Formats: sequence, C-alpha cells, structure tokens
Amino acid sequence: MFKNYIIVAWRNLLKNKTFSLLNIVGLAVGLACFILITMYVMDELSYDKHNEKAERIYRINSDIRFGGNDLRLAVCSDPMGATLKKDYPQVEQFVRIYNSNGSKMLKKGTAFIEETKVAHADSTIFDVFTLPMIAGNPKTALSEPNTVVISKSAAEKYFGTVDAIGKGIEVNDEQHTVYKVTAVIKDMPQNAHFNYDFIFSMDNVEYGWGNFLSHNFQTYVLLQPGTDYKAFNKNFKQVIDKYILPQAKQLMQINSMEDFARTGNKLEYSLMPMLDIHLYSDRFPELGVNSSIQYVYIFSAVALFILLIACVNFMNLSTARSSNRAKEVGIRKVLGTGKKLLIGQFLTESTLMVFIGLLIAIGLVWLSIGYFNNIAGKTLGITMLLKPGYLLFLLLIPVVTGVLAGLYPAFFLSSFQPIAVLKGRTGKAFSRSNFRSALVIFQFFTSIVLIISTIVVFKQLNFIQNAKIGFNKDQMLIVNGTWALNNNADAFRNEVAKMSGVKASSFAGYLPVSNSSRNDNTFSTEAVMNEKNGFNMQVWNVDYDYIPVMGMEVLKGRNFSKEYGSDSTALIINETAAKMLGFDDPVGKKLYTLVGNDNELVSYTIVAVVKNFNYESLRKNVGPLSMRLGYNKWATAFKVSATDVTALLKNIETKWKSMAPDMPFSYQFLDDSFDNMYRAEQRIGKVALSFALLAIFIACLGLFGLAAYMAEQRTKEIGVRKVLGASVTSITTLLSKDFVKLVCIASLIAFPVAWWAMSTWLRDFAYRVSISWWVFGLAGFVALLIAVLTVSSHAIKAALTNPVKSLRNE
Amino acid sequence: MLLELKNIFKWVTVGGNRVFLLKDVNLQVQEGEFISIMGPSGSGKSTMLNVIGMLDGFDEGEYNFLHESVHKLKEKQRAQLYKQYIGFVFQQYHLIDELTVYENIETPLLYQDVKSSERKAMVADMLDRFNIVGKKDLFPAQLSGGQQQLVGIARALIAKPKLILADEPTGNLNSKQGEEIMDLFTQLNKEGVTIIQVTHSEKNAAYAGRTIHLLDGRIEQQVTN
Ligand SMILES: Nc1ncnc2c1ncn2[C@@H]1O[C@H](COP(=O)(O)OP(=O)(O)OP(=O)(O)O)[C@@H](O)[C@H]1O
Ligand SMILES: [Mg+2]
Repeated sequence: MFKNYIIVAWRNLLKNKTFSLLNIVGLAVGLACFILITMYVMDELSYDKHNEKAERIYRINSDIRFGGNDLRLAVCSDPMGATLKKDYPQVEQFVRIYNSNGSKMLKKGTAFIEETKVAHADSTIFDVFTLPMIAGNPKTALSEPNTVVISKSAAEKYFGTVDAIGKGIEVNDEQHTVYKVTAVIKDMPQNAHFNYDFIFSMDNVEYGWGNFLSHNFQTYVLLQPGTDYKAFNKNFKQVIDKYILPQAKQLMQINSMEDFARTGNKLEYSLMPMLDIHLYSDRFPELGVNSSIQYVYIFSAVALFILLIACVNFMNLSTARSSNRAKEVGIRKVLGTGKKLLIGQFLTESTLMVFIGLLIAIGLVWLSIGYFNNIAGKTLGITMLLKPGYLLFLLLIPVVTGVLAGLYPAFFLSSFQPIAVLKGRTGKAFSRSNFRSALVIFQFFTSIVLIISTIVVFKQLNFIQNAKIGFNKDQMLIVNGTWALNNNADAFRNEVAKMSGVKASSFAGYLPVSNSSRNDNTFSTEAVMNEKNGFNMQVWNVDYDYIPVMGMEVLKGRNFSKEYGSDSTALIINETAAKMLGFDDPVGKKLYTLVGNDNELVSYTIVAVVKNFNYESLRKNVGPLSMRLGYNKWATAFKVSATDVTALLKNIETKWKSMAPDMPFSYQFLDDSFDNMYRAEQRIGKVALSFALLAIFIACLGLFGLAAYMAEQRTKEIGVRKVLGASVTSITTLLSKDFVKLVCIASLIAFPVAWWAMSTWLRDFAYRVSISWWVFGLAGFVALLIAVLTVSSHAIKAALTNPVKSLRNE
Repeated sequence: MLLELKNIFKWVTVGGNRVFLLKDVNLQVQEGEFISIMGPSGSGKSTMLNVIGMLDGFDEGEYNFLHESVHKLKEKQRAQLYKQYIGFVFQQYHLIDELTVYENIETPLLYQDVKSSERKAMVADMLDRFNIVGKKDLFPAQLSGGQQQLVGIARALIAKPKLILADEPTGNLNSKQGEEIMDLFTQLNKEGVTIIQVTHSEKNAAYAGRTIHLLDGRIEQQVTN
C-alpha cells in the first residue's frame, strides 16, 4: 500500500512539473532559512554550556548609584571573592579575571606582536571553568608569579609546536617580564562569553590590593550543589556592613548604609548565573561581545514564520491543484477507497515533497552558510547538522512539515463527493475558499511586517550615521599604542603633524567611542565628602588640543590654555554634569576629588562647559563627564584631509618604524570605530533584509502558482468575456482584484503589529528615529506592487490568449 | 460588402499529416444578409463560423472585414468589434458559471458603459421577451439546456449587434421555441442586422436568404432561397 502511495506521489510530482517545482523550491528556500536560523539560535543558546559545572558558576555583578550617576558593572572589588569563600560555606571556589587594557605586546622572535586575547586570572580558574589541558598541571599552573597558560594555537604560533611547557614569553611591560609557559590548553570554544589565548598569573597584576571600594575584577564563584543563588544574594548586605562600610567611613563621611540609601545612593551586589551572561548581560565591562535574548526571540519568530509561509504555499498550491486530482479521488472512491486511506495517501505525498525540499534545502544551507556567517557574525559550520540531536530534528522536519502542510489539502481532497467530482464540479468550491484567502493574507502579513522592520532598522542606522554626536568623527586618524614610544611620543606626534595632509593633532588616550579607556572618579561639591555631596563622573586627561581637534564645542567659559598658569587644576565639564551639579553658572565653581594611593583631597575649578557629546553608543544617554589637563599618550589623534590617505599612512608607518622598530604599527579611523559600535544593529538590518526578501520571494512563488491556477480555472470565463468585448485591462483587473483586496487586508493587520514590534526594538536606543506613516505606506505599496506584478503576468497572458482556445477546452 | 473570405485554408497537423478543417473557402457577405450554413457533423461549420467571428485564425488565404484585413486588426480593435458590432450565440452556450442569468445577460452592457438604469430596463426587456423572468436569479448550472440556450441568445442580442453569428441557436429548443427564435431573427434581419447561422434543420435554414452547404471543410454548394 505504502509503496503504491509513493509511486503515485512520484508520478504526480512529475506530471505537474511547474506546480511541483514551485512547491519544492518554495519549501526548500523556506526550510533552508529555517535550518540556518535554528543553527544560529542553537549556537546562541549553547554558550558556556561546555563547562562541566556550568550550572553552579555565577558572576558577581555590582549596581552602584552615587551622586545621581548609575553604574551597572560586571566587575566587583578584588577581595570580594575570597571574602565570600571565607565566610560562606556555600561558596566552593572563586576566580577573578582581570584584563585592564585588553591587549599586550608579546615578543615573537625579535619583534613584538599585539595580542588581544589576553587576561590575568587566579590559579583557581581551572577549578571553576572547564579548560581541558593538553599538557601541564591545572593545580599548579598559575599558582606562581611569572607564569602563563597558553592555548594550542598560541603555542603553535609562538613555538611552532604544542610542546611549549617551560618556554618563555617576553611581555613589553616596564620590566620586560618573561613569563614561563606552565600549561597548554585546548583552544577555548567560540561559544563562550570569554575567549583567551594567554592566561597570565594574577600575581603579576600591580594593584592596590584589598580595596573594597574599587571595582575592577570579573569575579566568578562556584556554589555548592543545591545552593539557591537568589537566597544567597541576601548575604551581600552582611558583607557590605562588615567589610565595605568601615572602608567607606574612612574615606568619606558615610556612617551607615541607611544614610547612604536615603540620599538616593545605592550599593548592591548580586550573583548572575554564568549561563545567562551571553544572552542577558549588558554591563560594563564585559569580557566579550554579548548577544541579546531579544535577538534570539526575533530570529526564532522569523524562522517559524518563514517555515509557515513555505507551508502555506504548499497548502495553497496543493489545494489549487485539487481539481486536477479530483477525478482520481472520485474514481478511487467509487472503487471503494476509504477517506482515511486517501488522507494517508496525500500525507505521504506531501511528506515526500518536503523530503525532497529538505535535501535541496541542505544544499542551499551548504551554499549560503558562508554568507550567513558573514552577516550574522557567526562561525557556524555545516557539520553542526551532523550532531545526533540535530540530525533527529532534521529528520523530524519533513514529517512535521509534511503533515502540517499536507493536512488541509488531504482533508480537502478526500472530502470530494464522487458524483460531483466526476461531473467536474469542484473548482468552484475551491476558488471561493475563505481558507485560501486567509493563507494568502497570512503570507502577505508576514512579508509586510518584515518589510517595515527592515525599513525601520535601516532608518535607525542611517540616523545613527548622521546623528549630531557632538564631536567630529570624520577623517580622524587614531594611531594606537603611542605610549610605547616613551619619550619619543612627542617627537612622533610633532613629526607626523608636519606631514602634508595632516591638519592637527592631539594625544587622545580617551576616545568618544565604546570600548575605549575610561576613568571615573568620585567628586564632591564641598571639601568634606559625604553621601550627599558626592557623585561619580568620568575624568579624562586631555591636552590643550583635544577639544578643538575633536571638534567639541565649548558652550560657556574657555578651553585649557597655556596662557593660564593655573590650568593644572582646571576642569571642563559636560552639560550633563553641569545639570547634575545644579549651579546656575558652573564656571568658576570648585569641585573636590581624592587622588593617588593615599587618597589626597584635591580641588578643581570649573573653567568651561562643553556641549554634550555621545562618548558611548547612542543606546545610552550621555553621562556626566569632565576633562582635566594631562597627557594621556596611550593613543594619538590626527585630523587628516582626504587627499591620499594610503600614502599618508605609509609615511606615518615609516616614521613609526624608525622610532620603534620592534613595535607593531596599529591605527584606526574614528568613524570606523564609531560604526563598530553598531555592528549588532547593522547585522540585524542585513539579516532582516535578507529574510524579508526571502519571505517575499516564497510568498511570490505561492502567489504565482495560485494566479496561474486561477487564470487556468477561469480561462473559459475570460474567453467568454473577451467575446463580449472585454479589454485586456479589464480582464487583468478582474483577475488581480481579489489578490489586491487580500494584500490590503494583510496590510491593515500588519501595520499595528509591525509598529508595536519596531517601537519595542527602538526603545533600546536613548536616541532614536520615529516611525513615520510613510514607512507603512511604502511597505504596503511594495507588497501591492509585487502582488500585482506577480498576478498580472498570468492575467495578461490569459487575457491575450485566443478566445477559441479557451472555449474549445470545455 | 461586410466581409469576404478568399481561398481560406485551415489545418491541424496530426502525427505529421495535415488534416484540413477548411479547404479553399470563398465567401462574400453583404450587409443585411441572412445566411444559413449546413452540413453533416464534423464538416467544419463551427470552425468556419469561428473564423468569420475572428475567434480562431486560419493558415492560408485572405479575410477582409469591413474592408480591413483581419490579419492587421489589433487586439484592441477586435475587442472594439466584439463590443459594438458582433453578437455570438454558441453551440455550447458558454455562459459564465459564476454569474446569474440576469448578470450574464447584463455583461455586454457593462463593457459598453451603459448607464445602470438603462441596463436594468434593457435586461428586463430581454428577460421578458424570452420568457425567463422567473429564472433571472438562477445560476447556469440550475437551468435546463434549452433555458441556457435562450440566455445565450438573449445575451447576444442585448447589445443590438449589427452582425449575429449563431451556432445552432435552436439545437436544444422545441419546435415552437425554435420558430419564435427564427421569427425574431427574421425581424432583426428586416431591421438591417446581418445574420449568419449554423443549423441542422432544413426548416430553419429556409428562413435565410442563402444557404451554404459544407462537406469536409469545403463549400459544396450555395443555394439562394
Ligand atoms: N483543434 C482541433 N484538432 C483536430 N481536429 C479538430 C480541431 N478542431 C476541430 N477539429 C475537427 O474539425 C472538424 C470540424 O469541426 P467543427 O466543430 O467545425 O464541426 P461542426 O461542423 O461544427 O460539427 P457539429 O455539427 O457536430 O457541431 C471535426 O472533424 C473536428 O474533429
Ligand atoms: Mg459545431
């Protein structure tokens, strides 16, 4: 019986080549999208799961509000981890990770190479995280100073062999420390929230240890099995009272946490499950680039909708074909086949189709995975499909999809009355079907929502590109690592500034783009600091040229100037800081802060207010910031004019090589760094665009098939109407009218849904575009245009056919 | 002259052989004529009528309609002719299944932009004349063969065409109904309408001024009544 089904199914497939092709291509494209997106989603959900103790690992987060300034930190103070372990038996182990500048210069052969996948960690890192060793002893690997654990690829890169234990790596720090390799670990997986090639001993970090008030260490704790972390969070209050308050009393006049809270301040710690970090953590500073659960939801929804569109196509086309199958059904029924058997037959048929579609889809995935990785920023491999779990899932797809897509046609076809069928009276029942209309509406609904989303995402990206950010990001060349030139830094800057094509220069250790150096400090408006007059803000050391070179605007007062001898205690604040301070005229007012290791109180005089500039992403509001005179030579900014940038870069590099032959030359353009902040949005834009196009494509395939079918069904009517004098236009209109109506209904449903979805997405941005009405108009128009073009090709063809041909077919 | 067929050939190729449907057909029709076409089943009557009505093409020869070569007529001009000049009555009725009797009869008027009130009056008149007022809201599938034929004729006549092409208009009617239709045709012919009809009945053929006998796609003889 089953074999008979397959044979009939196969012959039917071949008999109606166009329909089969449309059906299978639509399915294959839909399935390919679905597979790609599920791969993406599974990868997102797999982060950090390779850790054997993953479920027991938690990160300590800090939430601080001080003087109206909110800090949501992914770091805590250096003694916190050890304190928790000492006082609470639930804490089995802890580990701290520290990567202050995010990069180190390592010597390979005779030259230094900049490595970015570096960090310092406690030796307990191997107790907490699962980092399989190829060689070395996890118990002792990092327990001594001047030791380093490296990855397999790092070992191969630096020593040409995995067998690297005992070898030395020189770091270009002040002492030129040589670290001894004590272990080689397997490369860390891509789907982890941090990824390092070099883990240095924590003992080499120079730090004022034991300070509960500075938050600089990523700290993870391993809880005993069965510990409730939410309940554990309550213990932090005790820790604050016992350890932090005494230190705070000493520094500032803070007497109790109640007083501290009453003035609107806050100090809170909490544990965050490590498994949540990748999708839920958006704190500062993160060890890697995290994603967002929002995108997982969006992608999953898109995957499901595209699969549904493909299924809908399938249903539409199969039922449309029903009139051709009707006779077969009638005969089979007269021969005594029961309804159940017929349903079984049609389901077998649809499953077979889906299976063929799936095979093509896997081919499409294989072809497009490179492109997808590129736009989604992933490194997914086709081999992922071969995992047993996924393989099972893949095999389930045709069954589920086949049944889902085949159920309606199966019931529809098997319910024909034999006599009606043999008399040829089924076409009408179908052509007036409300269900079919609903399916077309659904397809266009999805397409229109995707079109609107794409437009809004690109509008927001465009807005970001052109937003007034308060500084000049164009034609700004940043040469990194100029601090390494030591005394030559000034000479380098001056020499480059003299080159043609360079207009101005400034040392620029702090840059107004994310992931640059930051420095925040506590200030007070009175000489005695307490919880009422204290507040936190950024303090950047800049030179005389920084503000003009960066194109920032001084609103009140004056820039730092050599004409004023006292400018070493001058402070320039931004508008947010000025507003927070609440002075009528902040210029001339004094602010106090603690500096140095001995916490000396120093006073500054405000000399200017600078217009707010967005120094973090436009997702965030501009926080309070101040600048004081100093030389941070970490990097140097050059304002260049756009002539021959390549030649200029070559000259600068030559100059660099002559001054620091063993240091790598590294540079960035500020507008590129700016764009990098929005890579996630650009990705989402591209992904939305790609899938919108595919969704429309699949929907069009379906519409194309339907229109062909409708035109075929109505050939007789068209012929008669032509003989009665109907023009081509009026016939085209007649055939397109129904579809246009459906697209209009789809638009009306899609508009509010798209509006809601995109408003939710935009809410993440402190600075955002509005969704104007033309977006909806445009999307509706595009959908309509596509529908009309698809349908009218058939309509026109039908309208142009010689009427006698269509009439003779009766 | 209204139309002229000159050495018209029409064939289909079946298994590499040409099967002729029309062979060297010559015919001239003057305005105001009433012509009958007769011949055994399969002799090519419908085919010839379709060619005359420009519903079908031909393979060789020349066909002029109102002194214009049919080859040169554009789709638009043809639609214009159907709309204003020609009324068809089909052997298989060809009513639109999705429309009611009333709507079927009304359709040609829609394409001629006749005002709604005027349309109503004209359709009502037709329904009345053919005695099918009671059926006006039924669909073709709900009518008998003869009733469908009447609707087809009513639809062909409503736009007051100057040329009526009727393929066995009375094939499914009883003799009394047939007579009535023939009387109606004669009446219209007297008013100046040109009529070409295909028929199997000698009696009906006699209403025409001229009868053309077809055999195997060839005009056997022409008889003036
Ligand atoms: N497309 C075609 N292919 C092959 N043969 C055709 C085609 N169209 C018509 N014929 C043949 O041409 C011949 C003439 O057909 P036509 O319909 O004109 O006959 P008719 O004289 O109207 O007959 P009837 O009185 O039965 O209506 C028939 O033998 C028919 O089989
Ligand atoms: Mg005939």
